[in-house]
Amino acid sequence: MIKLKDVVKEYTANNADTVTALKKISLEIKEGEFVVLRGASGSGKSTVLSLIAALSKPTSGEVEVDGDKISKLADNFASEYRRHNIGFVFQKYNLISTLSVKENIILPLVPMNLSQKEIEERLLRVLKMFHIEHKANQLVKNLSGGEQQRVAIARANINNPKIILADEPTANLDEKLSLHLIEMLKELKAEGKTIVVATHDPLFFGLSFADKEIELHHGSML
Amino acid sequence: MRSKFNLYITEYAINSLLRQKYKTFFIFLVLSALIFLLSSLFFITNSIKHELYSTLDSLPEITIQKIKAGRQDEIDIAVVDDILQMSGVQSAVARVWGYYYFENAGVNFTLVGIEEYEEQHKESLKGVAELLDFDGSSMMVGEGVKRVMDESYYKEYFNFIKPEGTLKRVHIGGTFEGDTELESNDVIVMSKKNIREIFGIDETKATDIVAKVANPNEIATIASKIKLMYPDARVVTKDDLKISYQNIFDYKSGVFLALFIVSLFTFFIIIYDKASGLSSEEKREIGILKALGWRVDDVLKEKFYEGFVVSFFSYMTGTILALFFVYVLRAPLMQNIFVGYSQLKTSFNLPFVLDVQTMALIFFLSVPIYIAATIIPAWRSATLEADEVIR
Repeated sequence: MIKLKDVVKEYTANNADTVTALKKISLEIKEGEFVVLRGASGSGKSTVLSLIAALSKPTSGEVEVDGDKISKLADNFASEYRRHNIGFVFQKYNLISTLSVKENIILPLVPMNLSQKEIEERLLRVLKMFHIEHKANQLVKNLSGGEQQRVAIARANINNPKIILADEPTANLDEKLSLHLIEMLKELKAEGKTIVVATHDPLFFGLSFADKEIELHHGSML
Repeated sequence: MRSKFNLYITEYAINSLLRQKYKTFFIFLVLSALIFLLSSLFFITNSIKHELYSTLDSLPEITIQKIKAGRQDEIDIAVVDDILQMSGVQSAVARVWGYYYFENAGVNFTLVGIEEYEEQHKESLKGVAELLDFDGSSMMVGEGVKRVMDESYYKEYFNFIKPEGTLKRVHIGGTFEGDTELESNDVIVMSKKNIREIFGIDETKATDIVAKVANPNEIATIASKIKLMYPDARVVTKDDLKISYQNIFDYKSGVFLALFIVSLFTFFIIIYDKASGLSSEEKREIGILKALGWRVDDVLKEKFYEGFVVSFFSYMTGTILALFFVYVLRAPLMQNIFVGYSQLKTSFNLPFVLDVQTMALIFFLSVPIYIAATIIPAWRSATLEADEVIR
């Protein structure tokens, strides 16, 4: 279970002005739920994902995942936590453009020092799952936006995480590809994964399989 | 059981270098060139120092020269007997020698005369005396001399031009190895009789006299006594010569020091530039890796391997090229800084002196510093919140 308790997150901009991204947010997401975080740009959706992934720490308040206070984790433990629990699909994909599809996908496994056989098995599984086997050896910079998005989702799943976090996953996709992506997320939910999607894409609103929709506005929950 | 060593991180590091192949190759080239320059300087300095110390060791304890109108002149052999009378003097030998200019090759040879039954003042000459045919007209030549003579087609003999203009043919009896490269490169040894003929030195005269003193503490005292006996003589002790040799060496070292400082300075500019920050692309990549579950130490390991591969291969390339340049190609251009009067000397092979300390010094001046310059900015980025780096 994911719990945010009275979370405040402030950023200090370059000119030293403080921007409050989240204002005392509290929410709970149960295991296996599909949650949509709605809101306009700057509403704080990405910040919520970032806190759940322990990519940043709250200014005050607590973030708990399965009873562990991940907001208090030291940097290396936060990395370990992400390695084993989180699959993150970034808005701009955050792929390394000079690496091939398969090199990008196995990146989370590199520090785990698994056997070559295990890496190949996991790779094959996600390549098949997201229909990109035929692109495995291509450089990601040569792929279309939709293909890059599938690589990003495959990478987020290679470590078989319990939680998938997707930040504006359809921002760079057309409607057809967006619907396809939603189908993929639905399949992941069916596998029992907890999925949190931050989006302002109306295609995500009112999905039959979504368990919860949370609307954020200027850092507060509506 | 899995090994603790993570081969995948090493593989990633090598791939990362290959992905930026032009940048990597440029850094490799610059680093190799600087290490090559530094290594060459060290190797040449070491070799010449070795040569210098060997030369100093073989110097006579006291040398007596006759001075006439401020210039060196031939000295009377009778002086030897006077010196031998002095208490504390172990031996005194009149030397007959001189520089012979070989116009064809544009080099000077040092012609040294010895006698069969005379005590040799130099260790290297003892061996030569056993090989030399004192009755006939033959000579033993240093290897460098033989090379020069061969180039001028003097393979069996050499024609010396005597003062009156006639030729003196002397057969090459063989080659010898001197105590030092410098010595074996320009020395010709033959009987004193032949030397006298070539230079026109009278039987009663010698070029100079060298004396050995039983107690090294008495060298200065005996030298001053000789000076008192012969006010027209220049009496030079081994220490005086040492100082004069050392001064020349130190002066030349200054030129090398300047080159050394320039290369170090360039190296540190590169290091400073590298340590002062990563490109936004590199920072983003570190942020992505962190977001994907890489720990700070995984990132640092990867950067360590990157730095190690580049700097170690540069080190190996630089030092191997320097060894080849100094000891096989004989350090063209650089060697002339030290052996500046090469036009008048036969060419000179730097003796091979591989000093582990020097190799280690170059290693520690390059590899760990470069690795640190690679790791420090990566560590700065890796310890930032991943969110901050990739946003």
